[in-house]
Amino acid sequence: MKEVLLAAKGLCKQFPQDAGKEQVLKEIDVDIYKGDFTVIMGSSGAGKSTLLYALSGMDSITAGKVFYRGEEISRYKERQMALLRTREFGFVFQQTHLVSSLSLFENVAVAGYLDSGKDTKAVRQQAEELLSRMGVEKAKDRFPSQVSGGEAQRAAIARAVINRPGLLFADEPTGALNKRNTDEVLKLLTGLAESGQSILMVTHDVRAAIRGTRILYLEDGKILDEMSMGVYREVESKEREKKLNDWLSGLSW
Amino acid sequence: MDGLLRKEMEMEMKTLWLAGSRRHKGSLAGIFVLILLLSVTILTVLTVWQNAGRYVHDEMERLGFGKITAWVSGVPDIERLTDGIKALPEVERADTQPVIFSEYEVNGQKSDSEGQLVTYEPDKYPYKIFTDDMTGYQTGNARIEQGEIYVSPSLQSMFGVETGDEISFRIARNSVVKSFIVKGWFEDPFMGSSMIGMKSFLICGQDHEEIVRMIAGAGIDALARDGYMVHIFQGDAGLSTAEFNGVLNGGTELLQYAEFTHSDSAIFGFMLTLQNVFTGLLLAFSLILTGVSLIVMGHGISSAMERDMADTGILKTIGFTTKRLQGVQELLFLSPVLWGMVLGSLLAVPAAQAVSRMTLTTTGILLPAGIPKGLCLLAMLTVFLILAGFVYLKTARIEKITPMKAIRRESREREGIRAGERTRLFPVCQQGLGFWMALRQLVTGRLRYMGVCLVAVLLVFFASLIGRISSWLGPDGEGLMDAFNPSDLHIAAQPMGETTIEDVERLIRSYTGITDQYMLAMPGVTVEGVDYTANVITEPERFHMLEGRTCMGADEIVLTEFVAADLNVGIGDTVQVSGGLGTLEYRISGIYQCANDMGANVGLSREGYRKIGRETSNMWCVHYFLEDAGKQAGIMQALDETYGGDVYLHENSWPGLYGILSAMELLMYFMYGIVAVVVLVVISLTGGRLLIMEQKDLGVYKTIGFTSVRLRFSFVLRFGIVSLAGAAAGVALSTLLTDPFVAALLRTFGISNFSSHMTVSNTLLPAMAVVGLSVAFSWLAAGKIKRCRLIGLITE
Repeated sequence: MKEVLLAAKGLCKQFPQDAGKEQVLKEIDVDIYKGDFTVIMGSSGAGKSTLLYALSGMDSITAGKVFYRGEEISRYKERQMALLRTREFGFVFQQTHLVSSLSLFENVAVAGYLDSGKDTKAVRQQAEELLSRMGVEKAKDRFPSQVSGGEAQRAAIARAVINRPGLLFADEPTGALNKRNTDEVLKLLTGLAESGQSILMVTHDVRAAIRGTRILYLEDGKILDEMSMGVYREVESKEREKKLNDWLSGLSW
Repeated sequence: MDGLLRKEMEMEMKTLWLAGSRRHKGSLAGIFVLILLLSVTILTVLTVWQNAGRYVHDEMERLGFGKITAWVSGVPDIERLTDGIKALPEVERADTQPVIFSEYEVNGQKSDSEGQLVTYEPDKYPYKIFTDDMTGYQTGNARIEQGEIYVSPSLQSMFGVETGDEISFRIARNSVVKSFIVKGWFEDPFMGSSMIGMKSFLICGQDHEEIVRMIAGAGIDALARDGYMVHIFQGDAGLSTAEFNGVLNGGTELLQYAEFTHSDSAIFGFMLTLQNVFTGLLLAFSLILTGVSLIVMGHGISSAMERDMADTGILKTIGFTTKRLQGVQELLFLSPVLWGMVLGSLLAVPAAQAVSRMTLTTTGILLPAGIPKGLCLLAMLTVFLILAGFVYLKTARIEKITPMKAIRRESREREGIRAGERTRLFPVCQQGLGFWMALRQLVTGRLRYMGVCLVAVLLVFFASLIGRISSWLGPDGEGLMDAFNPSDLHIAAQPMGETTIEDVERLIRSYTGITDQYMLAMPGVTVEGVDYTANVITEPERFHMLEGRTCMGADEIVLTEFVAADLNVGIGDTVQVSGGLGTLEYRISGIYQCANDMGANVGLSREGYRKIGRETSNMWCVHYFLEDAGKQAGIMQALDETYGGDVYLHENSWPGLYGILSAMELLMYFMYGIVAVVVLVVISLTGGRLLIMEQKDLGVYKTIGFTSVRLRFSFVLRFGIVSLAGAAAGVALSTLLTDPFVAALLRTFGISNFSSHMTVSNTLLPAMAVVGLSVAFSWLAAGKIKRCRLIGLITE
């Protein structure tokens, strides 16, 4: 029996400017399990990113409840949410969203500094190791405007995992990257998943989605279907891609 | 066809202008507020300055004040004296105005200078009578009944006089007084200012005759004296005041009867001292405000151009030229300037009226509030041209924006790289993370904070300058007391009749011991033919010396800076000094400080004076230092009650001093108010701009666990650090510049002893006020951080 990490019950979302129109998310019930690399797919405008940000507490919800490790976080005050983001949640965005005035190393380290339980030396060492693991140790003293998109995104992943979050949220992490950088970033995410990191990723890219162990398909604000796959193996990528494409074809993808 | 095209282009410009106005309404509103404040300040100050000068000059002329006016008494035959004066070829005419000199007492306070009772003769001397509420003048002549008196409004600030109060004039010993009831107020353009101790009073002819009879009847017991103001008008000789004065003294008996003489320019200077000092300071403040406005405008323009960069590129792709786009920006930023100036010009009229009303009881004159159009138009045009030139220069870089450069936001990227290089010196540490983050953001966007820093420098500099002046003045006006008194004292007594100085000292000692004493007399002398008051002292080492040494020798004299400049002489030179006994040559041993008569006085030792003047029994005023200075007020009251008019008493102060201190306090409050508004505008504009630019970063910080409060603290800290740095520079600047700047201003009024020093209240307080306001306003501006939604990150 898998442990439920994140759960939504009757989750609804409607943007204020769309009052009176259809909801973007319609009473979604979903469980995200510990250790899973969960992927949310869906057609454009289906509400994938909206669901990701509603689940992660980045955006308010209209109705329903969100639970993390059994505790309702949808009613959290800002301070509780900030603590949750420091220690339990990590975020990777499509645009890297690194702080422009901080070097890559500092972008990673600052997130570590926020965790008051850690000492400076440990954080710095951990940041160095992560950047090295992400393959950007040579660019660590550069600023976001001085590195390539791929390097910036790898630094962003390092920042997201420095506090060993319970769940890593990734919103189209390869959406703005070229093929080479996409492969590198996906490899990193797969590696993290293999090491036991729970990941919840939104993507419309099949090559990215095949890295997941569980695929949710969202359409018109509802989870239409889901599919499970085994842990990703490079040699099985073609078969996984075919399986996923077949499944998506059945869902009018 | 051309006309149609032009019309379309005008519409395009109008459309862009309106869009820009909507988008940058915050910046434009801030500029409008600052220009409004600047315009009101400049126009009000210029109005007060110009109107005061012109009005006092016109009134002096209207009321028949000559090139020189001599106050004479004890003249046996006034016609013979004036005929002698008129006989001089350099004199055009000489008019006489009968007066009575007398000390007076009002509301339990004794005057420290004599008053002069002037007979109200509206046909000859049409003094203006104020309405009861002192907001204007009565139409027609006043009717002064016996026992009624009209006084200058400055008596309100000096003695708290109200209509219905009683004023008693000491006519003779044995309590022979003549009392009047204050009926109303009149405008005295010669002596109305509270800077002038001697005051004029208007009475009716019958009362004048009665007092003359009382004086005659009192014989040797008379304290009051009847005399005249002799207004002497110069012909076409084209002599300077000093030369004309020399001609009068040399060719007539005037010196024999003159109690004192003043030129029209000296009286003009006395009357306008306060206005000129304060308008000088406010004009300097206006310059600071102009600097602040330029900084704020620069900030607003940079911010707007940065936000509009992509749009500018797009507009260029559809055919807009640099010239047209620059024109739109100029129009955009000069519109609030123009509106601010127009509204400022309208508000300057009530502001000048308010200043006129508020200063009436200090200056004694109701200044016309009409704006001097030529001068004000010139000032506004100058300010506008400066601002327009600045806007042109700031918007000129539109030319360098190519469409693709704008769309790619190259400038921001380059800025990021440059910022990166600068920041290596400031690592972000876990301990004090908020501080290090703030410092990093500061270093990264240093140009954006430069405006706040410069504004803090300018505001703290000026506030500290005013604080230093205020400290120099002291809580009881000690600075001015030192400036006006040639030497220090606690109390001074000058027996005028039967009371002896021993009686006075006995009474003083019954309260507290006398630690030291010396004597000072103030007879008139002429130096190089020009009349001056001589401060004759028994202990010359007590003079407040500025340069050289005091006049220890009998053939030595000390001059004020004013007299030295007037006579074009310096230390070591010799001057011819004349007194009642003759003329001798004296060597100038030093320059001393005494702002009495705007600095028109000299200092002599007793031995020095004896060589040219005759000592009289009651010329000496004995100056005492008390063991317990806290008993000064009680002793003064006891002396006054015991010896009344028999002893002339004074302290190291004068009633008008408190008016000056109040005006200074008012000026400080006004400037602190302006400083608060300016800081609010600058922080709102800078803070708003930064929040817009950092919206993404703020979102990112929130996603990694920063709380809004923590981000808000970090934001505020940046402004705190910047304003603190600016405040420190402002304090340093005021330390360097206050003394030369203020000393130069005050020297023109005969005050040469200005020297300031740093205190908590004059230095730390303005600095902390500016830093505190910056922090408080940035905290308010940072309220938007809480509303910064993370969803913004998704929409990119």
